[in-house]
Amino acid sequence: MEKTVCIMTFHATYHALGFEKVLKEQNIDVKLIPVPRDLSSSCGSAARFRCQDLSSVKALVDEYCIEVDELYEREEETDRPGLLDRILRKK
Amino acid sequence: MTARLKIILSGLMVGQLGSLLVLFGNPVNMGVCVACFYRDIAGGLGLHQAGVVQYLRPEIAGFILGAFLISRMKGEFRVRGGSSPILRFVLGFFLMIGALVFLGCPLRMILRLANGDLNALVGLFGYIAGIYVGIQFIRKGFSLGRSVKQKTASGYTMPLFAIALLALLFARPAFIYFSTEGPGAATAPVWIALGAGLLIGGVLQRTRLCTAGGFRDAILIKDYHFLWGLVGIFIASLIGNVTYNLEFFNLGFEGQAIAHTSHLWNFLGMTLVGLTAVLLGGCPLRQTILASEGDTDAIITVVGMIAGAAFAHNFGLASSPAGPTFNGQIAVMIGFAVTIAIALSAVRSEVTIGKGVRSRG
Repeated sequence: MEKTVCIMTFHATYHALGFEKVLKEQNIDVKLIPVPRDLSSSCGSAARFRCQDLSSVKALVDEYCIEVDELYEREEETDRPGLLDRILRKK
Repeated sequence: MTARLKIILSGLMVGQLGSLLVLFGNPVNMGVCVACFYRDIAGGLGLHQAGVVQYLRPEIAGFILGAFLISRMKGEFRVRGGSSPILRFVLGFFLMIGALVFLGCPLRMILRLANGDLNALVGLFGYIAGIYVGIQFIRKGFSLGRSVKQKTASGYTMPLFAIALLALLFARPAFIYFSTEGPGAATAPVWIALGAGLLIGGVLQRTRLCTAGGFRDAILIKDYHFLWGLVGIFIASLIGNVTYNLEFFNLGFEGQAIAHTSHLWNFLGMTLVGLTAVLLGGCPLRQTILASEGDTDAIITVVGMIAGAAFAHNFGLASSPAGPTFNGQIAVMIGFAVTIAIALSAVRSEVTIGKGVRSRG
């Protein structure tokens, strides 16, 4: 479970912002990201959070009536960082 | 390959092709300019009579066919639409007015900057300001509405338009206009231009590079993925320009190719572009790619841009190297009024996210 991350997509950026706000208020780790390329060819915003928080997140989505699109679970990025990433991070 | 490396490489490719197309004959600082090329196409089709900007630019047909073919191959050609098409037409129209008052789309702005044109830096500040204002509407709940599945035939509009443009370009019938002087007469060989367009269209369908998205995500969600692509465009174009277009490289404000030095109108023109682009969800280049993979809302936006280009030259709204016109200044102001009215109308003030409040898409 700890090796997977959850990605939530939305119909509108506004909903993604609301989702982030509600989760942050509850101290749940969340980060808005561009929708991962393998999920969609669109360029909207998605939210990434830990799947271990999924049940709390689902409860909050219901409680706050946040409109969400799809939920994806995926393996956490285990790729070794590329050369460029390593150079840029060293900066 | 990491996602960041891919977006940087796609930016480097766009920037490099931008410089190469100048080397092969496109106007200086206009190796690729989506707004200018739609304007040239509008001229070529006789929708406006500005004799110096009339040519059926094959790069545009390339963008469309490249993005269409790759989206078909990857199973991403999905025909959808119905998200406020008329509002998108109007926003596309005024996006083009802003671009033609500045003299270039956001992509050309980066290419101009990479050739030393500091007027483009003023434009860049305006573009970011426009995006910033647009983001405030998004934060307040702005949305043009959800798109839904559409009839498959609608999705073929763009590829058929591209094929028609190429057919007319090769057949050269008497009713198609070709500039004999000015920027419209500065053209790379058709096959090189088409090939570059295909490459850009295909790669950008994969990487989703967008000039508006780059700044929007950086400001709104503090994500710099797309911004890296823009850095790539700038760097590759700068390297290309100082390597093989050095005779045209000119650092400063004065004497720049197809540009004017009115700081106020460079700024405000691009502010209008940034504002409309962020509300539309993408810059002219991104709209073209989306339109080609079946997004009929983006198709309407492109039609709005072409209409805007025709009006811009018929009504004397477009700037020239001599500067902006009075009519153009009025049109930008009307553009701001209309765009802000649309933005306010599409803010769902009654819908807030909170306990027990039902939010709609």
